[in-house]
Amino acid sequence: MTRQFVSNSKLGVFVIAGMLFLILLLYMIGKNENMFGNTFRLRAQFGNVQGLTAGNNVRYAGIQVGTVKKVNILNDTLIEVVMLIETKMKQYIRKNAVVSIGTDGLMGNRVLNISPSVKPAPLVETNDILPVKKTAEMDEMLQTLARTNEDVAVIATQLKNTVNRINNSAAVWDILNDKSLPQHFRASLLNVRSATAKTVRLVSDLQLLVSNVKEGKGSLGAIISDSALALGLQEAISRISRVGEDADSLAQVISTLAGNIQYDIENGRGPARAILKDSVLAENLQLSIQNLQKGTEGFNAIMEALKHNFLFRGYFRKLEKQKEKDKQPARGQ
Amino acid sequence: METIQTLAVLPDMPVKAGEVVMRITGLYKSFGDNHVLSDFNLGLLAGENVVVLGKSGSGKSVLIKCIIGLLQPDGGTIEVFGKNIPDLGHLELDQVRMKVGFLFQSNALYDSMTVRENLEFPLRRHSIRLPQEEVNELVRHALDDVGLVHTVDRMPAELSGGMRKRIALARTLILRPSIILYDEPTTGLDPITAKEIIGLMIEIQEKYGSSSLIISHDMNCVRMASDRVVMLINGSCYAEGTYDELKQSADPEIKKFFE
Amino acid sequence: MMVNTQNWKQWLEEAGEMSRFTGRFFSQWFRPRYEVTEFFRQCFIVGYRSLPLVGLTGFIMGLVLTLQLRPSLIDYGVESQLPAMVGIAIVREVGPVITALIFAGKIGSSIGAELGSMKVTEQIDAMEVSGTNPFKYLVVTRVLATTLMLPVLVMLGDAISLYGSYLGVNIRGVTSFDLFWTQVFDNLSFGDVVPAFVKSFFFGFAVGMVGCFKGYHSHKGTEGVGRSANSAVVLSSILIFIIDLVAVQVTDILGLN
Repeated sequence: MTRQFVSNSKLGVFVIAGMLFLILLLYMIGKNENMFGNTFRLRAQFGNVQGLTAGNNVRYAGIQVGTVKKVNILNDTLIEVVMLIETKMKQYIRKNAVVSIGTDGLMGNRVLNISPSVKPAPLVETNDILPVKKTAEMDEMLQTLARTNEDVAVIATQLKNTVNRINNSAAVWDILNDKSLPQHFRASLLNVRSATAKTVRLVSDLQLLVSNVKEGKGSLGAIISDSALALGLQEAISRISRVGEDADSLAQVISTLAGNIQYDIENGRGPARAILKDSVLAENLQLSIQNLQKGTEGFNAIMEALKHNFLFRGYFRKLEKQKEKDKQPARGQ
Repeated sequence: METIQTLAVLPDMPVKAGEVVMRITGLYKSFGDNHVLSDFNLGLLAGENVVVLGKSGSGKSVLIKCIIGLLQPDGGTIEVFGKNIPDLGHLELDQVRMKVGFLFQSNALYDSMTVRENLEFPLRRHSIRLPQEEVNELVRHALDDVGLVHTVDRMPAELSGGMRKRIALARTLILRPSIILYDEPTTGLDPITAKEIIGLMIEIQEKYGSSSLIISHDMNCVRMASDRVVMLINGSCYAEGTYDELKQSADPEIKKFFE
Repeated sequence: MMVNTQNWKQWLEEAGEMSRFTGRFFSQWFRPRYEVTEFFRQCFIVGYRSLPLVGLTGFIMGLVLTLQLRPSLIDYGVESQLPAMVGIAIVREVGPVITALIFAGKIGSSIGAELGSMKVTEQIDAMEVSGTNPFKYLVVTRVLATTLMLPVLVMLGDAISLYGSYLGVNIRGVTSFDLFWTQVFDNLSFGDVVPAFVKSFFFGFAVGMVGCFKGYHSHKGTEGVGRSANSAVVLSSILIFIIDLVAVQVTDILGLN
């Protein structure tokens, strides 16, 4: 009988140990899920709970204070989350605390974060509905990232296509290899030169006009002596002269370029290469042409305005007649 | 209780006077197509030793398993103390089994128990409320009958074949049965041990006045232990008589056993 | 007879016999007489005596699982989740199944062999003759003992496994026991523990039932006993996996996951 007793006591220890571990396990889980102890309910309403389910943790300023009790669908756009919060937290959580849905770690479970607000507010009561804050959602971030990626992919494809097209297109290379390009440049250069010459002539015309006006020639010279007009004219002139300078520098650039191209051709190198290589030059060229254009436009506008001004209408008419006269003997030659 | 004279199945047989403790009539038992017992009849008187002689596989073991209620016969009656075994419920069957001992061919000692626990087992299991001292006394007495008192705290596995057989006999005896069924009591034993066991069986039978039904094919056993021999051939009672009568029989089937 | 019949027929016959055997258990286990002493003895043998083996395998399993999971978790940069992951793996699946398999190997075979040898040496018949219902005395007690003891073993095995895992975590890193403990429990829910606990009852029942059936229907001879023990282990191991599969589906349907 002694043997029986010993085996029974060992059996008892064995079974009790097993049951204790089970109870401990269940108790710990129960404690984590707030089955024991005093809790109260709080609510929050979201448009999207992002996979939050009953049992997820609720944190107040990062401290574990409760769990999600249930998630109810109120209507098609509103979902209510009911949480169980430890009663002792009632003295800390205020009515303006903001609820947001977050993630525990990068890939972890959903958590409900209650963040305190800096503004004063009364403490929460049971079943209060707390305000919510929409947070950057991993999914949305990933979606944005995906869209960006798609865009990049499209651009990359287009870029690749362009490069392919350039590589494959004989026309582009023809243009770039074209020996007549320098000639075109030269022609352009001549055009620019003539433009410059025209500008210079315009400037001298204008200066003549101004001096005439100053001397009181013309029917309404006195009025023209008005200082405001004089100032405007001065500006016009300075602008015109700037155009002249621009044209000059452009002419220089073009002649350099032309020289370079000439050199390249003579040395057996493709002109296209020279152009492609010398990006600074190309830029300068671009800039100069733009400036010239702008300057010329401005000048034209001023001239047009002057022509239409009734004060100068007569003078310009006389000027044109004189030009006609000058031209006829020239043609006659 | 009926007397032997009324038994039609036992005609002109020299039998001892006494009560009929067991009567088997028209017993049938088959396993599938194998008809083991067909129309078997047997009577057993108080204080009588009957040997059922038969070849291996002739249905001898099936017969005594039917008697003790381990197998359900297909037909016929087995009356033990006037009760038909196949009709009995569990409780009544247990009552009968307390009065009928069974010595198994392989002893059937419980390997996980000591000799004492083995002997105590039938006492405790039959819901007999006895004080521990009395149980101890019964165990000691039963072991004394077989001469193995010193092995009381040993395990069956530590004992020799002959000792195990005697322990098994002691376990059968502990309930003081009126009928003891022996299933091949000398199988697997050397001739000397077998002789000792047979001697023990006779001694016990004389001491307690119990009846014995012995299943055997061992002619030594038949010769020594039998008051009467029943030959079981083809599932039914082929011949009956004393050892000497059968030995002198001219029947070729019977002669086979004595060669 | 068995040799000549086709395999599938033999298999179906055995399934039928097994079902009847199980039905017999259910019709008898709650009826007197109650074999209380034998039940406690079996609980002791089946439960307490299996603890060292279950404890050892559980400990090694926890340790190995932790060491094996660590590199993968480091690859994903979530090494800190090691206790949580091992905890869930052990409590949900590894603990119950490994314990049940070890249990099937130790107890299933021993029941099969014990009842098998009792059958062939007529001890079962002897019990019946001695006024005992051997089915109740041998089968009901053993099946109840395995059914009730395996969950206890699983719980203790889980505890030891978790301790092994704690040591495993500390081989390469440093984690206090408190932190390990908190991480394990923070990630467990009732849905992890309860189904695992419930299914271990079924595992225990299957092991006990199969062992008893195989032993009780053992064929004559020592070879029959050996075959009973062997087939008890094989069949109960397969049943454990089948029950596990069913349990997963059922818990899924019940929404306990």
